[in-house]
Amino acid sequence: MSDAIADAVRRGELRSVARLITRIEAGDPTIAATLRDLHAAAGNTPIIGITGPPGAGKSTLVDQMLARYRANGERVAVLAVDPSSPFSGGAILGDRVRMNRHNTDRGVFIRSMAARGRLGGLAQAAADALVVLDAMGWDRILVETVGVGQNEIDVLRHADTVLIVQTPAGGDTVQAVKAGILEVGDLFVVNKADTGSADRTVSALREAIEFRTHALGADAWHPPVPKTAATDNQGIAELLTAIDAHRRHLQDHPEQLALRRRAQARARVTEHLAEILRSRYLQPTNRSERFEAIIDEVVARRCDPSSAAARLLHD
Amino acid sequence: MIGEKIRCLLAMLGTDVHSKGIRTLAQLLRDRGVEVIYLGEHNTADGLINALIAEDADVVGLSYSTATYLHYTRDLLVKMKAAGVDDVPVMLGGLIHADDEPELREMGVKGIFGPGSSMTQIVAFLQDVTGKTLTAP
Ligand SMILES: Nc1nc2c(ncn2[C@@H]2O[C@H](COP(=O)(O)OP(=O)(O)O)[C@@H](O)[C@H]2O)c(=O)[nH]1
Ligand SMILES: [Mg+2]
Repeated sequence: MSDAIADAVRRGELRSVARLITRIEAGDPTIAATLRDLHAAAGNTPIIGITGPPGAGKSTLVDQMLARYRANGERVAVLAVDPSSPFSGGAILGDRVRMNRHNTDRGVFIRSMAARGRLGGLAQAAADALVVLDAMGWDRILVETVGVGQNEIDVLRHADTVLIVQTPAGGDTVQAVKAGILEVGDLFVVNKADTGSADRTVSALREAIEFRTHALGADAWHPPVPKTAATDNQGIAELLTAIDAHRRHLQDHPEQLALRRRAQARARVTEHLAEILRSRYLQPTNRSERFEAIIDEVVARRCDPSSAAARLLHD
Repeated sequence: MIGEKIRCLLAMLGTDVHSKGIRTLAQLLRDRGVEVIYLGEHNTADGLINALIAEDADVVGLSYSTATYLHYTRDLLVKMKAAGVDDVPVMLGGLIHADDEPELREMGVKGIFGPGSSMTQIVAFLQDVTGKTLTAP
């Protein structure tokens, strides 16, 4: 038996899709059956992740990529994730300002999502939203996140091709290496090539990438470092060619694609496991007397934290 | 439902370019816990409606600094009705003349916040039309 909302999603009813994503964001448990239904048939749309520091030009790049894909007749969905204010829980979701020219195009669907500061929950909500978009049958999905924290990096795990956007402005490159972002990037885009010394940034990135990949064997993908000037629409065609090359590489090396899919599935299941445990023990409303009693023992040092956790799990 | 937020689309229609007011409002709303989907200036009614649908916004806020707001607002509300999204409340801010309020209300504008309006009024309006509570101070 198929689910009514899932059917509406597959028919491309935009309001149903949008409302379902809202319910995903709110953590509504009553949509589990819908998501189960959609998940079964998803996994066919190439997902391109785009991340990098705030202001690097990610949204402007997405806008230019959309224009190219549309010119090729491809229908594209975008999921744009922005951080929430840690103080108020509110957010200004401003990515789509840069993409406004596509608002009247039915071949483009753009949805903004706030990170909402949830531990692990962002990746989960974003992944579920991606399943919904995937089930709608777009030719491609782009997902933009701000490369700041682990949460955002976790979102990228759900992409098939990950673009890390950097700018010639000095420290970014070092930061990327530090943040462990080098490991998740399939392409390193040096945007704002119209400003400053882009070539220096490119060679610094190349060096860091080679240092990492030279040990990986002949079949490994070597991330290219394309230069773009998104506001001038420069380098976009080359960027898209590099994205397609990565996709072909995965198709030509099915074992690498399989590893990636497995890692994605593992991450998703792990996130759900963590979420189950978190909601069982950590939400103030769910803190059981039993939980608090064990905490009392730890405070009094009659029990250590590790044994306490083990006892809770074996209850 | 737990985890529900007010999602508010903020935009300027037509040729209006004085976006300072709407930017300030975006920040104030964020600080009250609202998720603001910021569309900036130069929007068309059709573009705004598509964004509104995709974003599942609870409410639309328009800011005006020129006298053309009657025309643009009417055009938007007519098109929202045609698109079947006239259930989403529309509020107006900026240089709205008090004399025009009755006409705007008659068109279907739910909230009007001209010069001198306070955040308290806007927040009360948002909670009222969305039925959602803002938890931020
Ligand atoms: N000079 C220059 N500015 C750019 C370029 N790409 C984006 N920008 C500008 O950088 C600012 C931030 O761009 P945005 O796309 O919002 O960055 P995001 O935060 O990474 O999504 C905007 O003012 C853009 O116009 C570029 O290639 N060159
Ligand atoms: Mg952006």
